[in-house]
Amino acid sequence: MTATAERATVPGPPSGLSARARRRSELTGRDVTVSAVLAVAAFVPAAALVWLTYEMAKQAYPAIVFNGWRFFTTKTFTLGNLYGGTPIVHHGYQAAHGAQYGVLPFLFGTVVSSAIAVVVAVPLSVGGALFLADRVPARLQGALGTFLEVLAGIPSVVFGLWGVFTFGPLMSRTGFKWLAALHIPWLSGSPGAGQGLLTASLVLAVMIIPIIASTTRELFRSVPPLTKEGAVALGLTPSETARHVTIPFVRTGILAATILGLGRALGETIAVLIISGNALNIYPHSIFDPFSTMAAGIAAILDGALTDSTGMALHALGEVGLVLLLVTLLANLGGRFLTRRFSVGGLPVGRGI
Amino acid sequence: MRRLVLLAAVGAVALAACGSSSPTSSSTSTTSASSNTSNSVTPNIGNPTAAVTINESGSSLLYPFLQELVTPLHTQYSNITLAPAPGGSGKGISDAIAGTVQLGGSDAYLSPGQLTQNPGLMNVPIVVSAQAVNYNVPGVSNLKLTGDILAKIYSGKIVSWSDPAIAAVNSGTRLPSTKIVPVRRVDSSGDTFIFTSFLSATNTTWQNGPGFGTTVTWPAVPGELTANGNPGMVQTCKATPGCVAYVGVSAESSAQSVGLGEAMLQNKAGGFVQPTADTITAAATAGSANVPDNLAQPLIYEDGAQSYPIVNFEYIVVKSTQSSADLAKAIRTFLSFAIDPSGGSSQSYLSKEDFVALPSTVVPKVKVAIAKITP
Repeated sequence: MTATAERATVPGPPSGLSARARRRSELTGRDVTVSAVLAVAAFVPAAALVWLTYEMAKQAYPAIVFNGWRFFTTKTFTLGNLYGGTPIVHHGYQAAHGAQYGVLPFLFGTVVSSAIAVVVAVPLSVGGALFLADRVPARLQGALGTFLEVLAGIPSVVFGLWGVFTFGPLMSRTGFKWLAALHIPWLSGSPGAGQGLLTASLVLAVMIIPIIASTTRELFRSVPPLTKEGAVALGLTPSETARHVTIPFVRTGILAATILGLGRALGETIAVLIISGNALNIYPHSIFDPFSTMAAGIAAILDGALTDSTGMALHALGEVGLVLLLVTLLANLGGRFLTRRFSVGGLPVGRGI
Repeated sequence: MRRLVLLAAVGAVALAACGSSSPTSSSTSTTSASSNTSNSVTPNIGNPTAAVTINESGSSLLYPFLQELVTPLHTQYSNITLAPAPGGSGKGISDAIAGTVQLGGSDAYLSPGQLTQNPGLMNVPIVVSAQAVNYNVPGVSNLKLTGDILAKIYSGKIVSWSDPAIAAVNSGTRLPSTKIVPVRRVDSSGDTFIFTSFLSATNTTWQNGPGFGTTVTWPAVPGELTANGNPGMVQTCKATPGCVAYVGVSAESSAQSVGLGEAMLQNKAGGFVQPTADTITAAATAGSANVPDNLAQPLIYEDGAQSYPIVNFEYIVVKSTQSSADLAKAIRTFLSFAIDPSGGSSQSYLSKEDFVALPSTVVPKVKVAIAKITP
């Protein structure tokens, strides 16, 4: 009776023990085990990231030493002559005769295709999500929402096949031709056969729209109806409500969803491999030209790199992978930083009206 | 007493088996290989005692032929199952080196670097194949091309079918001014190896530039397309008017059935030929006069009025030391079956893929290599 009475009186620890020690003494064996298991589970992703980065760096190290800063200033990535010639030696590491490793065109391709994909996808996703959340009658919302979620689950390789067999050729005959006819610099030139930067960026956009749209739709649904009703009561039209109330309310969430989509676009491998045209060592001169990204480049060159008897080709691909990893991490961290900055405003109700 | 008799019987059988296989054991055959003249080595083959599955991966040019051999091989030797897979010659070589598969199929022989890095790794030719150049130019048939023109097309220097260089070798044929769309392989490919070998042999700029290999640094050509595997090349070319693509002969029947034309290529003697059994055999015979013991021999751009210029040995890349006696025996048996004119190299199997059998001068050296595969 007294023990339970002591436990029931919360304020003030019993004499001699800190609150923490008292709490610890109250834990059962099961509590401790569960805490330990959860701690391990929480630790695993961080450990995986650290281990992955370490292993990539280890694999890339010979190439980092061999290439030096030329990796970031050279446009050429070539495995060299694997069938003859004496291997070249640089800083103690061997590579095939004539081999040169530069990441610039890959980096350009990754950044530009992802940027175009995000620029195309965000207005479509936000607009679509707004429409689904606010304008569509409730009975249709479920079905249309399901479409969106299902689209997010379609494997990338299916998008790649669709892009190379249907979407690319169709667009090169219609949309791209009209765009090229406008003669805007960099947006003109031969539309080609459908394998190129614009096709790949558009397919990437289609892939990331479901991610951004379904997250944004949930966010829009979470805007308190009272806030929106207040705006309507003040005489705002639906589009003004959306612009001044709904969207600013979830601004941070939209940014976070965009970062998620950007992450997927940066790392997309197989779809880009199929529809990008895999052009090496060149910057696309027009938006229709073939190009290559870091992820697709690694996948395309890997088999050839494995036949390099000096092993330097594999290390060079590891270095490309390390750069891709760092770019993705930077994008994520940068996004988080921006999100935190944006969210310092509190509720935007009363702003801008 | 009975146990002693049994033991003696087993011992006698074992001794007899050892005795019959000793002439072909690896230690003796290495010395006999260099002095090999008339008497050919007969590798020890037969049905292994336990069921063995031989995994193969690699060349998509060789793959249809291996698929054909699976059933007759299993019928003749019930304990051997061959499991081939495509993936490209580069993958075949790297898988064989890594040990992921027992056999690597490759249109390309091993490089000197690979041979040095992996002592005991061999490339064993089993058939002779070739490569055609297909095109999709509506209204044009009987197109003639040279290696020099192809090198310029794949370098972006010749961009239209009506270019004077192409017209010069096709007098009498009306060529449209359609844009040329070159198609190349994106996977690490033996077809790329033999095609770029041909380009290197006929165009010095290409030889000093991209050179040859299963993966090369292709010059950037606006509008160039990429494809995976020989069937991918056929599909992409079919869907693209104006395309030119290099396709292995085993995919030629499908290429022609979808309406792609097969170009006549200029050989070293100056004549224009297409890949037929006669032209391929002529090139193989001309090129097999001096095959090195390690069997790494190109057959590109050979002499001879009838020789087709893009011909190659189809190699099986295999380690000479295998993990078990049964596996080694199974591999020796499969390879011997593949080169046997009454087995895998019979006309019915070869003609389906437009391959030809190994020249008779090469067969003894191949058998010596097969005999080196031991546990």
